Amino acid sequence: MAPRVQTSAAGVLALLSDPDPQLQQYALAQLNALVPQFWAEISESVTAIETLYENEALPKNARGLAALVASKVYYYLAEYDEALSFALGAGTSFEQERLNPGAEEYVETVVSKAIDRYIQVRATEESGKSQGKIDPRLVNIIEGIFKKCLEDGEYKQALGIALESARLDIITRIFDLTKDTEILSYVMEAVLDTGFTLSFRNKVLHHILPLFPPLTARAPHIHSLTRLHVTLSLPSITIPILVSLVDGGLQGKREQFAISYQIAFDLVEGGTQDFLEAVRSGLPQHSTVETSEVPAANPSASRVYDRLRSILGGETSIHLFSDFLERNNHADQLILKDTKEALDSRSSIFHSALTFANAFMHAGTNSDEFLRNNLDWLGRASNWSKFTATAALGVIHKGNIRNGTALLQPYLPQPDGASTAGSSPYSEGGALYALGLIHASRGREVLGQLRATLRDVPGEIVQHGAALGVGIAGMASQDKDAYDDLKQALYTDSAIAGEAAGYSMGLVMLGSGSAEVIDEMLQYAHETHHEKIIRGLAVGIAFICYGTQEQANATIDRLLSEKDPILRYGGIYTLALAYAGTSDNAAVEKLLHIAVSDTSDDVRRAAVTSLAFLLFKNPSQVPRMVQLLSESYNPHVRCGATLALGISCAGTGSQDAIDLLEPMIKDPVDFVRQGAFISLAMILVQQSDVSPSLSPTRALFAKIIADKHEDPMARFGAALAQGFLDAGGRNVTISLQSRAGSKSMSAIVGMTLFAQFWYWYPLAHCASLAFAPTVIVGVTEELKTPTFTFVSDARPSLFAYPSPMKPPAEKAVEKVATAILSTTAKAKAREKTKEKEKAAAESDSMETDKPAARVSEDVEMKEDGPTAPTTGAESSTEDTTVSLSMSASAAKREREKKLIEPTFEILQNFSRVTPSQLAHIAFPPENRFQPVRAVASHSTTARNASGNSRGHTKKADRHAGGGGILVLVDTKPEEGEPQWVLALADSAAAAASASASTAAGLDGPAPIGANATADNGIMVEPPAPFEYPFGDDV
Amino acid sequence: MDHSTSSSRRASGDDLGVQGPDKTIVAPLPPSALTDIKNNVQLIERAVSTLEPRFTHRVLRSLTTLRKRLDATVLKDALEAAYPKDSPTRAALAAYLPTAAEGVGMDVDASSGLTSPEVDTYFCLLFILYLIDNKSLGNAIEIAHQTAEKIHTWNRRTLDSLASKIYFYLSRAHEIQGDASGIRPLLLAAQRTASLRQDDDSQAVLINLLLSNYLSYSLYSQADKLVSKTTFPTSAGNPQLARYLYYLGRIRAVQLSYTDAHTHLQQAIRRAPNAKLAPGFFQTVHKLFIVVELLMGDIPDRGLFRHPVLRKALVPYLRIVQAVRTGDLSQFQSALSSHVVQFTQDQTYKLILRLRHNVIKTGVRSLSLAYSLISLRDICVKLHLDSEEDAEYIVGKAVRDGVIEARVDHANGWMLSHVHRPEGAEGIYATSEPREVFTKRIGFCLDLHNESVKAMRYPLNAHRKELANAEAAREREKELAKEIVDGDLDDDGDGPGMSDF
Repeated sequence: MAPRVQTSAAGVLALLSDPDPQLQQYALAQLNALVPQFWAEISESVTAIETLYENEALPKNARGLAALVASKVYYYLAEYDEALSFALGAGTSFEQERLNPGAEEYVETVVSKAIDRYIQVRATEESGKSQGKIDPRLVNIIEGIFKKCLEDGEYKQALGIALESARLDIITRIFDLTKDTEILSYVMEAVLDTGFTLSFRNKVLHHILPLFPPLTARAPHIHSLTRLHVTLSLPSITIPILVSLVDGGLQGKREQFAISYQIAFDLVEGGTQDFLEAVRSGLPQHSTVETSEVPAANPSASRVYDRLRSILGGETSIHLFSDFLERNNHADQLILKDTKEALDSRSSIFHSALTFANAFMHAGTNSDEFLRNNLDWLGRASNWSKFTATAALGVIHKGNIRNGTALLQPYLPQPDGASTAGSSPYSEGGALYALGLIHASRGREVLGQLRATLRDVPGEIVQHGAALGVGIAGMASQDKDAYDDLKQALYTDSAIAGEAAGYSMGLVMLGSGSAEVIDEMLQYAHETHHEKIIRGLAVGIAFICYGTQEQANATIDRLLSEKDPILRYGGIYTLALAYAGTSDNAAVEKLLHIAVSDTSDDVRRAAVTSLAFLLFKNPSQVPRMVQLLSESYNPHVRCGATLALGISCAGTGSQDAIDLLEPMIKDPVDFVRQGAFISLAMILVQQSDVSPSLSPTRALFAKIIADKHEDPMARFGAALAQGFLDAGGRNVTISLQSRAGSKSMSAIVGMTLFAQFWYWYPLAHCASLAFAPTVIVGVTEELKTPTFTFVSDARPSLFAYPSPMKPPAEKAVEKVATAILSTTAKAKAREKTKEKEKAAAESDSMETDKPAARVSEDVEMKEDGPTAPTTGAESSTEDTTVSLSMSASAAKREREKKLIEPTFEILQNFSRVTPSQLAHIAFPPENRFQPVRAVASHSTTARNASGNSRGHTKKADRHAGGGGILVLVDTKPEEGEPQWVLALADSAAAAASASASTAAGLDGPAPIGANATADNGIMVEPPAPFEYPFGDDV
Repeated sequence: MDHSTSSSRRASGDDLGVQGPDKTIVAPLPPSALTDIKNNVQLIERAVSTLEPRFTHRVLRSLTTLRKRLDATVLKDALEAAYPKDSPTRAALAAYLPTAAEGVGMDVDASSGLTSPEVDTYFCLLFILYLIDNKSLGNAIEIAHQTAEKIHTWNRRTLDSLASKIYFYLSRAHEIQGDASGIRPLLLAAQRTASLRQDDDSQAVLINLLLSNYLSYSLYSQADKLVSKTTFPTSAGNPQLARYLYYLGRIRAVQLSYTDAHTHLQQAIRRAPNAKLAPGFFQTVHKLFIVVELLMGDIPDRGLFRHPVLRKALVPYLRIVQAVRTGDLSQFQSALSSHVVQFTQDQTYKLILRLRHNVIKTGVRSLSLAYSLISLRDICVKLHLDSEEDAEYIVGKAVRDGVIEARVDHANGWMLSHVHRPEGAEGIYATSEPREVFTKRIGFCLDLHNESVKAMRYPLNAHRKELANAEAAREREKELAKEIVDGDLDDDGDGPGMSDF
């Protein structure tokens, strides 16, 4: 039988008080084994054991044993701090205990406590408040952990501890060991995307920067490096790397040029204006003499630098993107037309709604077709809706830097003060605002003009427009003069001009965190009586604190404790922008607290909405977080929840978010519905017809807009939502994150301003700042765009453009007749296509129904088409003829697709590639042109294994990064001059023909017939000779 | 699946490890046993996927009812339904079934590949129960040890409540086998792990198991130290809390702090599940409670002994109480000697021995009330004391303890009583004491009410329905508005009320 079970440790404990050290040591050894069983009993004599530990007379190992026993007892008593202290004192005994099979949990607990303690001690040491040296025994344990991690290859664990305890030397050590840039990328992302303080973040970044090895083509760390430079925004670091790349190129490694261009392009994506400007002017100026010595085959240094400068100026990217948007415009005129007919243009809210819908749909496409077709509608704009309508031109022509000013010239206030015939301050103000939008964040050319107007032209409406223009064009320029001009406008104490000045002061000083400026603005906010000005200033302060994290805490606390709810409102946005994209827990907690506790509805709404700015990098978190808030009794909180979902999950198609928004679509309160519509549209932007929510949502918007008994607010929201859904001709996504993975400043600012549309509709235009073109453009070293192909390794229908709307033929007056007609036609069509349908038997009924319907209209129209009347009143038939070709081609495509849905798709240069599609993009290695960096920063396809494979599940829901402008390396220069898609230099002249020819070559959907045919004449010489009748009713 | 609260109580009563109705009788198999298991497996999987411990608790509540219906066939079929053919768990568990048991040709569901550790554990639990009921303790212990080990390595929070059950039956099996002292280190280690992982379910069960383990070996001081060094998790369920309080009461009673013991036992009775569902625990607690009450000098309520559940069990105690009440030492002695076996079994014998003194005191008191003067000799006779000297000492001590108001006249050898009437006509009601007690009781009731309100749960997503209703109402309103507008256009001006606008 089993040996007699010991029932008490009392006997052994009695030995402890024996004077003989031998016996005491024996007792300790016994106790060590007995602790797990009799810890409760032993704990009563723990003081005796502690005295033994302190007893100098005992040999060292006996004292260690005593410490170990005491430590274990405290561990069982759940006094882990004490347990750690004694474990440290145990020394070798503790080390031996590690090998003891029964003690894993004890050792584990103590070690994890040791790590916690170490991190804590290091944190106080780092902050300069250290009290003496760190316990060397603690350091020993930690070093042991590091050593063990390195031996086991658990680098990420070691890195985590190293980062938390600010041990940068460990990072170096690990990198020296592995030489793996992934380690550095991991560190960088950890530092940037989790809650570290700004100062520590910069310290780490500076530390790892020199560790990156020199760049080579397709180096996996090129994304990380770019992001690093953008985050640090220090020209003194960025210039040398560009210079060294160019030097490398001059020494024969031609691809180095390409890399330098690529970095420049990527910097433009994420960098602020003043940073880019500093880099640009900091690049060395090479004399022409030097270039003659260089072999003719190589481009001369000065030319390379010139190119770099022009890229850094931003124009090249803007031109490429605007070229893409103009060319691939897939905006559906029919939607706008229906909306226009449903919304009464005499009401200013509906007029504005349609203006926004049109502006968003055509953002950046330079297509003013809708405006041209509806001049009488345009003329009906009055007062502020005229301001909005004129400003819409800025959104439509966004990025059209070349012609922007000329285009707007007729509406701008004349320098001599004489107003041209038919101009009104509203259209003048709107035009100034539009000018700002066209030159958003790249305002060098127009800033002077805008400032002059702001200074010289009186009239608060014009000043309002000019101030907004200055703010948006001069965003983050830190231009002191512009700031002073705005301040003067503010001091006129005009509510309208002052509000805009408040916003713009913040925009100009964006991210500076300047205490002086904040004080100035806050002081004025306290003095003035105009709520509008206070709001402008409050949000302006928020802009100033953009990205400053903990440095803004004082300002945030100050604003949040204000009595005036408008200033608290500003405080919310300050918090949101200061910690934008950090997911900082404390900030989120604060917002959630305010969201349920503040006395002002506006503040609560803003607090909920602001969650989106904090969490947009982890959009999957947001639905969970706002779920309860979205069911709040308070409609303002619900409304805030809608926007939080919309802004954070924009472009993701997140089903969770949609499920949450679903009930709010039917909310009893109008503005909640408004928010729900807008958010739904933001989430579903660029989803294909495959998404189950898309077509019902479209139908819903149309229904709401057409419903005369629906609240105006909701109809306004639905119209805006239509704009978002097809934003930028269906070629842009809404994203607060730039391609490199960093936060996109102008997008965040744009969304913040958009959120102010609650108080001031014209600010809704700023949402266009968050529109990011989704494209792959390849450029060669000469910055020309060759024709080349790449592969999208997914079913084309997954990422196809949504099919255009059906023509409204059935909506004729005789409802009954058409109803019969359509059904019979459908039946007929069904018979006709029966054989084809059979092939598509596996697809579900919804899909099979659609082509049938379309074919039916198709057939029907072919009979009617020729007899169609041509009067303007019968415009619906005109539209049907236009859409005839569309639907025909669509149906044909659809049918082809049905037959065999290929599993991949070959795309051309200038093709739309949505963010989720990027993971499937690959460049076949046999192609002549190869990109100099991996397409996506998080590639998932096996084919792209050469690219980096940082498998981050965290990021799985948001495919940020990659795409955009890729610099290509010509692998087969011997093949001679490649075909160019379009020479940028003479794009204006060649635009029409080029777009026609290349569009025909595209494998993707054919361009809309209307665009290619009807507009051709206009597109050749778009701007000047045409004037919109804004000034009719002055 | 309507395992209402009644079955939950039954389950929890059973947890208390007391002899309920005989469980070994396998009732004629109701057809639902297999479906029940299948449903439970689904519930467990749902609990794992939603991280909602509620579903697991529901499964565990049905354990007792299910236990009675378990047999080899059911288990075999359930195993086949839940596991694919080549699953090692299935093979391992099936080995414990008697080979004679043949499946009744149940169509085997093609089960979904991998099963979660939770489901594995659930099956192990069913097997342990089955094996315990079939006196196959060795096998039961074997499975239980294997499962406990696996639970330790899995370290999943969704396992917690299942794990606590495994530990419980592990200990129970050892207890039946009579070698419970051997698993003490295991339980201690498990308790440590549970507290590290903040696994409240297992922690509560394990503390109770340890206490019961110590107490069954009369290791009161060890038990006391364990209690003083651990905190019983507040989130533990009522059955576990009731057990804990009972053990606490026992420790305190042995340590002579009867007031503490009394409070603990009283709470244990209050927290205990319904008497009919867990009669064993109810009886055990009451036995101890009565003894403690007697030790405190109080006489338990007579009604207690008429309680249908308690009447039979408490007969020996009733005799003791009667003896103490009358102060009849001989009756006490005879009751004690005739029921000594019962008392020893109840582990109350030693406590009852302490009552002898109380009996004498009660006797002295009644004498002092009845006689204003009585000779020590007569006291000796009446209380069956050995000598006059003894009587003198006892009376002296009773006087000093304040039990009686009397004086011993040593010279004459008699006791003089000072008859003392209670103060005032209102007695205690003149003081503020009743009010305080009343306030305390009201406070208790209010707390109880608040706690029950807090424990209530709204049905999940019930508000969605309201939302649909609100939507419908809004639609109707809109219709109405439409009609008003339309009607306005039709009969313009003929409504005199309308023109008032």
